Amino acid sequence: MVEDWRFLDTGANDAYYNMALDEAIATARSKGRVPNTIRFFRWKPSAVSIGYFQGMEEEIDIAACRSLGVDYIRRITGGGAVYHDYNGELTYSILVDEANNLVPKDVLRSYDVLCSGLVIGLSLLGIPAEFKPINDIIVAGRKISGNAQTRRMSVVHQHGTILREVDPDVMYTLLKVPSEKIRDKLIKSAKDRVTSISGYLGREVGFGELKAALRDGFERAFNVRLVEGKTVEYEEELANQLRVKYASREWNFKR
Amino acid sequence: MGKAVYKVEGGKMIKVALTQRDGKIEWLKITGDFFLHPEDLIEEMERILISSSIEEIDISNSIEGLMKKRNGTLVGVAPADIARCIMMAGDSDG
Repeated sequence: MVEDWRFLDTGANDAYYNMALDEAIATARSKGRVPNTIRFFRWKPSAVSIGYFQGMEEEIDIAACRSLGVDYIRRITGGGAVYHDYNGELTYSILVDEANNLVPKDVLRSYDVLCSGLVIGLSLLGIPAEFKPINDIIVAGRKISGNAQTRRMSVVHQHGTILREVDPDVMYTLLKVPSEKIRDKLIKSAKDRVTSISGYLGREVGFGELKAALRDGFERAFNVRLVEGKTVEYEEELANQLRVKYASREWNFKR
Repeated sequence: MGKAVYKVEGGKMIKVALTQRDGKIEWLKITGDFFLHPEDLIEEMERILISSSIEEIDISNSIEGLMKKRNGTLVGVAPADIARCIMMAGDSDG
């Protein structure tokens, strides 16, 4: 029998609310208050997120963020720094019970399984994407998506980024580089290492088309039916509380 | 202060900053783009390494012991890689 999962498109919000809502959904899922969920969202204003174990000042040029009006936030998940451009990037989250048959116990294998929804979704757009361990999706040798996972309270929580369009110049203005001398070199090499949906296809792919393809990809890969849903009051209240943590200096600069 | 960056082949990046006194770790910070489940084990890892000798095998064993005791999972780096980076940071200092 095909399982029903909840599908949420929570639109564009600021970094603090976005990450707070992810944690709130994970908590609600762990308490059995909501079904397994796939969420799409965007970041307004644009933001950089860093992995749980990264140093904020080590990775991010805070002054550049301030002058460009870009937020900065520490994620609950490990992994690297990501630039979430309002116009260029779509973020997804998967929140699924750890006991679900879909999810391997082994973290490395589970990245492959959970990323397969994106791989199939991208293939529906005509992009021959493939999973590349540990946590990337690549097309023709270049990265198009990065993903990160945590497991808490018996819930597997994976989120990740899909590049619709990419601008390495902006990316390397916000992310710190080892020295100014190599900034240009890094931008140049990023252009060889990173691609995007519009860049690869040579045509503009809108967010609507992208979301429809990825949603279809997840349904096929996971053999589930994604049912349009809404956040429940519990999630919204918890998200508003957690937002305070994610907006705090204590959290964002703790490492 | 000693600092080092170590990129694991086929894995993730580790960055270590530390201070030492008499061959022992006085303070250290381990950062990077690796994964560790549960995440807050990183603070405990740093805590247990403070005051320990800067000996690669001992550090590696301490991290491995912590992973077993707390049922932790490191992804993208191994205890020996973190120990290696700590040694590099120690060597870079003074």
